[in-house]
Amino acid sequence: MGAIFEQLTGMLEHLGEKRIAVVQLFGTQIRFDVTALIMSWVVIMLLVLLAFWLRRGLRQPVEEKPTRTQAALDAMIDLLQGQLAGNFASERLAVMMFPFVSTLFLYVLLSNWIGVVPYLSSPTQDLNVTFGLALLVFVLSHSLAIRVKGVRRWLKGFAEPYPFMLPINLVGEIAKPLSHAFRLFGNILAGTFLVTVVMVKFMPILVPPALSVIFGLFFGGIQAFVFAILAVAYINVAVEE
Amino acid sequence: MLQEAQNVVSGISGADIAEAAKYIGAGLCMGIGAIGSAIGEGLAAAHALDGMARQPEMQGALLRTMVIGQAITETTGIYSLLIAIVLLFVI
Repeated sequence: MGAIFEQLTGMLEHLGEKRIAVVQLFGTQIRFDVTALIMSWVVIMLLVLLAFWLRRGLRQPVEEKPTRTQAALDAMIDLLQGQLAGNFASERLAVMMFPFVSTLFLYVLLSNWIGVVPYLSSPTQDLNVTFGLALLVFVLSHSLAIRVKGVRRWLKGFAEPYPFMLPINLVGEIAKPLSHAFRLFGNILAGTFLVTVVMVKFMPILVPPALSVIFGLFFGGIQAFVFAILAVAYINVAVEE
Repeated sequence: MLQEAQNVVSGISGADIAEAAKYIGAGLCMGIGAIGSAIGEGLAAAHALDGMARQPEMQGALLRTMVIGQAITETTGIYSLLIAIVLLFVI
């Protein structure tokens, strides 16, 4: 019993610590957060394996009666299309962006949920991961805007509605990926901290699993949905006239 | 010299005060910072409920918009959380 409490106190002491690997490359130091990197790959592997596994259930002509896997997949795609892609401004944009946005959603969802498993941590509780995802959305939305509107009209969009609004618009554009990344990171990190502190300081049994379900599964799902739908909103705003 | 003498007398060093200020700052930051986002999220929920009571058939769309709005409102609370974390672990 004492050993368990010692281990738990150790957990609290190591809260917020990171395992950093430093790699010397071309004379510069490159730092990796090993935990986030490994967990990120675990999530990607799980998604790929899940995709292959579900793909096996679809190998038949469409006219036949759908299998259970096929029905489940249909329902899932319908849900994603209705909730996420339905918010795009145009049908063409929705068709083009649906794979990206739904992949983003599934990756963030699984990343948030994997933190519930003991000894595993969410990659999204590392700021670098969420910031990478937010930057991905930022670059994608602006490159799409340049492609749709052309460079001149894209640049002119920053001076709308009046030219003196330019600094405010620029700050607003920079704030978008920042708040996008911090929101996901803060929510997941706060959940992890709360569960760990309650487990170590108040009650090691019964309460932490319940909290873990609320913060990991419920808020994790909502935050994944919000992350994807904000990506949709940012792409919409960047592309719109 | 005088400072050192005072420290010896009171037994409290500047590092102790800085340590205490860190915890007080983090607590205040979370406590006050949470007020704004809590009020904002409550307002969003209240008005979404109003809308749902008036038009029950709009429930799905209202719920979705409410959740997104609340998540965006929460950002200020998350910022204060970040500052609290920086106060506790980084500084």
